[in-house]
Amino acid sequence: MITLEHITKRYGDHVAVDDLSFEVADGDVAVLIGPSGCGKTTTLRMINRLIEPTSGRILIDGTDATTLKPEELRRHIGYAIQSVGLFPHLTVAENIATVPKLLGWKPARIRARATELLDLVGLDPSQYAEKYPRQLSGGEAQRIGVARALAADPPVLLMDEPFGAVDPLNRDRLQVEFAKIQRELKKTVVFVTHDVDEAIRLADKIALMRLGHLEQYDSPEAVLDHPASKFVHDFVGADAALKRLARVRADTVMRTDVPVAQDGAAAVAIAAGQTARFIYLTDTNGALEGWLDRSVLERGTPLVDAATRIDWREAAIGPDASLKEALSRMLALGYRSVPVVDDAGRLLGDVSLADVERTMEAGDAHVAEPGEEAPGSTDVPAAADAVGE
Amino acid sequence: MATIALLLELPRSGRRRFATAGIAVVAATFFALIGNEALVDRMLVAAFGTVPDPVFATPLLALTLQHLAIVAISSALTIAVGLPLGIWVTRESGRDFHDVVSAAVDFGQVFPPIAVLALMFPIFGLSPASAVLALFLYGLLPVVSSTVAGLEAVSPAVIDAARGMGLGRFRILLTVELPLASAVILAGIRTSVIINVGTATVAAVIGAGGLGLSIFTGISTDNSGNLVEGALAVSALALVLDGGLAVLASWLAPEGLES
Amino acid sequence: MDRVAFAGAAIALAGVTLLPFAEFRANRIVSGETFRAWSSAGLLGWLLVALTVACLGAAVLPLRYRGPGVLAAGVAGFSAWVFAVGGSAARLMPGGDSAARVSIAGGAWLALVGIAIVWFQGHHLTSSRAHVAAVAVAVAAVLAAWYLDGLPKVSLVYEYRVQSDTFWTLVSNHIELSLGGVAIAAALGVPLGIASTRAAAVRATVIPAAGIVQTVPSLALYGLLVIPLGMLGLPTLGAVPALIALTLYALLPIVRNTYLGVSGVDPAIIDAGRGMGMGRGEMLWRVEIPLALPLVLEGLRASLVMTVGIAAVMGIIGAQTLGVLVFQGFGSIAPDLVLLGAVPMVVIAIIADQGIRALERTIVSPGIRIRAGQD
Repeated sequence: MITLEHITKRYGDHVAVDDLSFEVADGDVAVLIGPSGCGKTTTLRMINRLIEPTSGRILIDGTDATTLKPEELRRHIGYAIQSVGLFPHLTVAENIATVPKLLGWKPARIRARATELLDLVGLDPSQYAEKYPRQLSGGEAQRIGVARALAADPPVLLMDEPFGAVDPLNRDRLQVEFAKIQRELKKTVVFVTHDVDEAIRLADKIALMRLGHLEQYDSPEAVLDHPASKFVHDFVGADAALKRLARVRADTVMRTDVPVAQDGAAAVAIAAGQTARFIYLTDTNGALEGWLDRSVLERGTPLVDAATRIDWREAAIGPDASLKEALSRMLALGYRSVPVVDDAGRLLGDVSLADVERTMEAGDAHVAEPGEEAPGSTDVPAAADAVGE
Repeated sequence: MATIALLLELPRSGRRRFATAGIAVVAATFFALIGNEALVDRMLVAAFGTVPDPVFATPLLALTLQHLAIVAISSALTIAVGLPLGIWVTRESGRDFHDVVSAAVDFGQVFPPIAVLALMFPIFGLSPASAVLALFLYGLLPVVSSTVAGLEAVSPAVIDAARGMGLGRFRILLTVELPLASAVILAGIRTSVIINVGTATVAAVIGAGGLGLSIFTGISTDNSGNLVEGALAVSALALVLDGGLAVLASWLAPEGLES
Repeated sequence: MDRVAFAGAAIALAGVTLLPFAEFRANRIVSGETFRAWSSAGLLGWLLVALTVACLGAAVLPLRYRGPGVLAAGVAGFSAWVFAVGGSAARLMPGGDSAARVSIAGGAWLALVGIAIVWFQGHHLTSSRAHVAAVAVAVAAVLAAWYLDGLPKVSLVYEYRVQSDTFWTLVSNHIELSLGGVAIAAALGVPLGIASTRAAAVRATVIPAAGIVQTVPSLALYGLLVIPLGMLGLPTLGAVPALIALTLYALLPIVRNTYLGVSGVDPAIIDAGRGMGMGRGEMLWRVEIPLALPLVLEGLRASLVMTVGIAAVMGIIGAQTLGVLVFQGFGSIAPDLVLLGAVPMVVIAIIADQGIRALERTIVSPGIRIRAGQD
């Protein structure tokens, strides 16, 4: 738990952070957001004492941060920043090893940890461990930055716009991965961003700051539905309902009892007893290959023409994609539903436009509370059943 | 001088005028001082009273002018050859020669200046020609390398834009490339001239004359008066020239280039 | 047509045909009689002329054969040059241990420059296997000319024999003095450069001061040191003042490059390191110095190359370096003596230059090497 008590930072006459108090519960992601110059980065940097507060106290798990040596304190707090700051003269593995080395870990343990972390951030250790930062793409470097921050398994993680320097597509992917890692590791995270969508997507609590003050500190839903001030309302934007979709995972609303067949003939056979318009076609491994439109088939069109072949990488979404992504995929492809598949392309279910509409209307009803989720929540169909119809 | 050069590296505005005035005053003082034979004599006798004949036979001003002449001739040759050569190897017509010239310049910069003097000696013997030729060749290196580096550092986008506006090649070189490269080129010329002042000092030994003569005589006859006379004068000359060229460069380089 | 190789070949041909190739003097100080290649070296001279023409021909070969052709012509030209030099000495030198000298004249030097250009271009156009073969041929040619031809009779080698007892002492002194000056300068300069990044006052004094020292000619710097040295009771001639002058001279590139290297480290990297709990010492040793290393080594390289030259100048004040031979040669108008000092000096400078570059390839992290083609 991180507790900020009446934190103030002054630079001469300028007050950068003014009497700020809030608390981040264990395992929560608190996102500091606000226009530039609002004091969010200053606040973050006071937690690991890169900046010393002018007054006030910061407690980490009940211990006053000022009672520790700053270096000692920082070695137990993960730190990831927008510019990543990878050491260019060290390999990826050596970069990840920085804090473990400072803590005096044994070389074998450090190596094992680097491998484990590269796996965690989705980079093949055998391929990446010995690379140098200049050989990495922007997205890869950001991943290594996160891995390095996690290296010594710190309970607390500070992240200053960690995905700010990559293109939107990569940022999206990194956010999804981070959410996944966070579900697994349950770190206490303070995260700075200026991107409202990112905040809504990742936060358990949003701290909206302006001119050094805390405007509102609440759950994303509360910030969207009950903005504390006109400033908050204007800052999160008018499309609160649409933004809320970013909070809902596809697997929490998807239909799992979709009709599936392995070839056209079988599809025609089940088509008769179906009310659903589409029958999904998969290969023998369950990987999605396309679908059959029953309405077209009933018009007497030959089977070959009624079936649509697709590449699941383009036409489907993952279980942890948000409804916002589901909606944009539907709009982009011109369908009224979108299949949900796992990493190997196996069909898990589908999300329809009607599901999205229902979620928007229902407001908070469908919002997955991260606290409610069981550790094994990647077991999607079960979770989907629980929330589904 | 060096301090003035340093001043120039700070933001521009009034500093440039201040530096210009400063260097002008320093240079004027320098020449007034060395031109006043009686004063130089008195000072040297006062400082080195125990040394017989502490004053070098040739008047200091004459030595200085001789030194300056050697540096001026060789530097003028250097610029007249080095600048076009550097430009040529970055043009389409000379691009074939770019690598061989760069390699030769890299190789040449490893040569000690005295070795270049020494290599001229067997061919041209004891004469100012040997000295001028050695100074010219050695001075070429920084001029060519800075000209090439400066021109190559000009962003291709800028040249492309100039072409897009319909400027011809020669006009692009004159109005875009050379002005943009001028700071680097002028720095190379300044380095070249200062190296030449130093090499010319050593070149006194192969008959180039100049202030080195007073130093060498001082060393070989154990006359610290002669030695210090030449050393002080040539040090001051180098620093004045360095400062003067820095000021000159600050006037010649386009205003927008201030980093 | 390869214009570079063609230009090189033309220079070589002009050197061989238009200018004297060798010079004969009855003793080492009288002025001599000059010869064209064919009259001094006979057939070997004509062979050299033929091969420079072959270089011209290689430059206009069809593209497929041009690379190997130019390289082969360049190396053959070099070999013929060595033989022609040796041949000239063999033919012109009278028998017995005479005081006569046969030295290499201007045309031969010009031809060598032209041939070097042809070789360079051939090198440029071919693969590394050909490069090795070319060097092997050239070495074999020099050895053959040494043992079979008259290369040992060339004046430079004669001069070496006369001076051989002092020569190697001078070489080792020269190296010791240069390395010593740079070592002291590095021991002072690297900490000063780092201090310059920490304290503005240090930066504002040390770097301009080193700049002024660098602007002053080396001989004048010595002249200015004489008085303080005398007052301190230190010797004003010989190795001590030379070492002090060298050290002062070598400081600027080291201090400046250390300062630039350390202050140029990306602030984001420093921030990341601090955020992970690195202390000042860890930051300096694990981050700042390794990242500044390419620039620091570049400073060391510049210092060392410069110092090799200044150590030579210090020969005039009694430092026992190769400069002693150069100045003696100037004084007695003996070009061979001058060359005997100058040529090894150039070799030492080249070895120093390449040595530091090799060191850089070894100790700088492959993640940050500045020179291309090293990873």
